[in-house]
Amino acid sequence: MSNIEEKLWAYIDGTCTPQEHDEIAQQIVQNEQLRLQYEELLRLHQEFGQLEPDEPPMAFTYNVMETIRAETALKPLKAGINAGVIRFISVFFILTIVVLLGIVIANMAGNGSIIHDAPSVHFNIDGTISQLFKGPLMKCFVLFDVVIALLLTDTWLRRRTRAAESA
Amino acid sequence: MQSKLTDIELIAQTLGGNQSAYADLVKRHQRFVFTLALRFVKIREDAEEVAQDCFVKAYRSLSNFQQQSKFSTWLYSIVYTSAMTHLRKKRVATDSIHDDETFIQVADRSGSFDNNLAERKSRSRYLHMAIEQLLPDDAAIITLFYNGEQSLEEIAEVMNMETGTVKVKLFRARQRLKEKLERLLKHEINELI
Repeated sequence: MSNIEEKLWAYIDGTCTPQEHDEIAQQIVQNEQLRLQYEELLRLHQEFGQLEPDEPPMAFTYNVMETIRAETALKPLKAGINAGVIRFISVFFILTIVVLLGIVIANMAGNGSIIHDAPSVHFNIDGTISQLFKGPLMKCFVLFDVVIALLLTDTWLRRRTRAAESA
Repeated sequence: MQSKLTDIELIAQTLGGNQSAYADLVKRHQRFVFTLALRFVKIREDAEEVAQDCFVKAYRSLSNFQQQSKFSTWLYSIVYTSAMTHLRKKRVATDSIHDDETFIQVADRSGSFDNNLAERKSRSRYLHMAIEQLLPDDAAIITLFYNGEQSLEEIAEVMNMETGTVKVKLFRARQRLKEKLERLLKHEINELI
């Protein structure tokens, strides 16, 4: 490593101390060989500074932005849900459970059995179901379901036959 | 047309959800980022991939940019890390070209080398060829210092080195570049004779 060349580069870059700067400036004036070396390095420095950066492809910005857009679109739904909403739902359910537990405990007798009488519910299931199947709406619904089932079976069978033929 | 807003203003707009502000940032820095990536990986297609990857990474961690340094310095540090990872993955032979045989191969690599005499005389073209022959680190330091307008301290930040080390590396890189340029020009004169 040439010490004087290193000093000359530091002089050109302006990274030497003011004292070193003055010393080198004086040497350049006094020493013809050093002056030539300095001029050569200065010319190189200017040439390096004029280096043109390379051009990326025309669609570079577009490609970058497309990648970013695709990434944003693929972001999982979990990341898009507001944490506040989740917290609110959690608090609601916890409160409901606590209140229900409170009611149960408050209605408990000393021996552990619950005093509260549950309301009795009466269902007339037989009558309701028999009426349901007699109506014209139900008949239409069943017919529609049968047609859909036939169509889907037909599609499935066709696919199966095609797969068997290609194999 | 490029935006007149500063990098910081564009970053603030991007963080506010304006993606076109980030497109302006990409347009502004793409040439230097691409050039820097090219200095490391040497192949245009790979450089494009690395540069693109850098801008995507920068977008993802834009909110982490502390503004303690220039945006370009922060961006170039991402380029440096990405390019190093790319080189490690690809295990590209990054040895500097010293022997004459390889040296001539690189010189001949430029498409119309023997066809266009006027172009051959261009010193700038030879300078580009000489940079291509440098080690990735040397080429990157030269590019950051001269093209990227980065100070020694900023280059140290980008390359995760001490400022003193960068100063020595820059000196050596310039010496090597000078030698390679001289060899290329000597080769040109010999061919003309």
